[in-house]
Amino acid sequence: MRWGMVIDLTSCTGCYACVTACQQEHFLPPGIFWNRLMISETGVYPLLENEVYPVLCNHCKETICVKVCPSGATQQRKDGIVWIDQEKCIGCRYCIVACPYQARSYNPEERKYLGIVQGLTEFGRLGKEQYPQQTGVAVKCNYCMERIDSGLKKGLKPGVDRDATPVCVNTCPTSARHFGDLDDLRSEVSSLIRRRRGTSFHPEFGTDPSTYYIRT
Amino acid sequence: MIEYTGQTEWVEGRGILVWLAFFFIELGAGTFLISSMFASLRGMILGWLICTILGGGLHLLYLGHPLRFWRILVSSGWKTSWISRGLYFVGFFLFLGGIHIILTQWASPDLGLLIAGDIFAFLSVMYGGLALSYVHGIPLWNSGLLPVLFCVAGLWGGAGVTILATPSAGGITGVDHVEELAPIFLGFYILLVIIYLMSATYYGTTGKLSVREMLVGKRASIFWLMTVGMGMALPLGVAITSFLAGIASVPPPLVSMIIILELVGDLSLRYCILKSGFYNPLVSSRNQ
Repeated sequence: MRWGMVIDLTSCTGCYACVTACQQEHFLPPGIFWNRLMISETGVYPLLENEVYPVLCNHCKETICVKVCPSGATQQRKDGIVWIDQEKCIGCRYCIVACPYQARSYNPEERKYLGIVQGLTEFGRLGKEQYPQQTGVAVKCNYCMERIDSGLKKGLKPGVDRDATPVCVNTCPTSARHFGDLDDLRSEVSSLIRRRRGTSFHPEFGTDPSTYYIRT
Repeated sequence: MIEYTGQTEWVEGRGILVWLAFFFIELGAGTFLISSMFASLRGMILGWLICTILGGGLHLLYLGHPLRFWRILVSSGWKTSWISRGLYFVGFFLFLGGIHIILTQWASPDLGLLIAGDIFAFLSVMYGGLALSYVHGIPLWNSGLLPVLFCVAGLWGGAGVTILATPSAGGITGVDHVEELAPIFLGFYILLVIIYLMSATYYGTTGKLSVREMLVGKRASIFWLMTVGMGMALPLGVAITSFLAGIASVPPPLVSMIIILELVGDLSLRYCILKSGFYNPLVSSRNQ
């Protein structure tokens, strides 16, 4: 089993719903994004066009980040998900530098000015309880592995049942994102990659990413 | 990510500490290695201190969680991570080198210990270059020449610091040989910089852009003034003059000044390499 995502660029409207949902799901601090939109401009003025690329961790099969991590904080699960054990991360940022997809970021020291005057919002308080984000560590997308794990325990199927599917996939209003098992040839993601020639970023690095893009 | 974005984590903000830490680790280890070859105890102590206090200290200061650095020792990261291997190299070098210094000062030195310490000192000189060359996403760094360049720079700097440390030690007999060695390192260094930059232009558009950034872009003033002018041209001029006129004709203050300029040149080259390291863009913009 290897979880993967397929993003249909012909359907993506660049609405940032996935970015916002991800921020909310993981209670990410300001300025930290696990999910981003890259907007590329093509054409010649005045006939310009924007191409939108939602980018997140590729959860590569051949992981560079796991290899460079000196403390064993970055790990790969059997289902292919690459995650960071924040308790083990020493904050050397080698993984951030080494990731050729620039999918990782550093959660810097706590911004003391946030919440001083008015205090934390209810959402902020909830985040500190439910999803405490450590500072001084590398952070990145984890394919919402908590949702996947809890969903599987309930007998749900990731990519099919909403409660077991990454929140960015659930929230996409145009259903541009698809999630499923790349090793299962009958899964929706495998079928999409095959039928619509899904490609990944920089295959020449030999990292074998699990996030694919459909361009046509 | 669409345009050519530069690496920032290891050179901007607190990242400056990494730039300095790599430099001091390699300079300290290089100084110890060269000093040990010419039996300069003062040089060895200085190299050991530079590596421990400046190199190790700056590395620790940079970490988001410095108190967790012990986790490197208990993980199996050494199998694949150059940071982890670097810690072992530097750790063994400092341990063995420290014992050798103590034995030399208060008892009789052990040759086997010194050789083992020197091997780890040599690996420590290579460490920064190896860590950078593993980064596939930055073509300028992803070169087998980078560890060699950093190694030569570390040994050359080490030779310089050994010369600086030696006169006040009361005249070590080998110092003249160190002074003879320095121009050889300088020649290698200049040659390697030229080959490294030329080869980087073959690593696609991103590599070319990185080199252009160094030679004619935003880093050009630092590169030409400090790396080439201070770090190469002036020491080369003095080396040629001293070769023609004999080493004894170079006044010690001038030698000291040249060594300091050489270190500034090396430091600035490392800055340019770190700062000009562009990532391959994920997608190309503007109809490319």
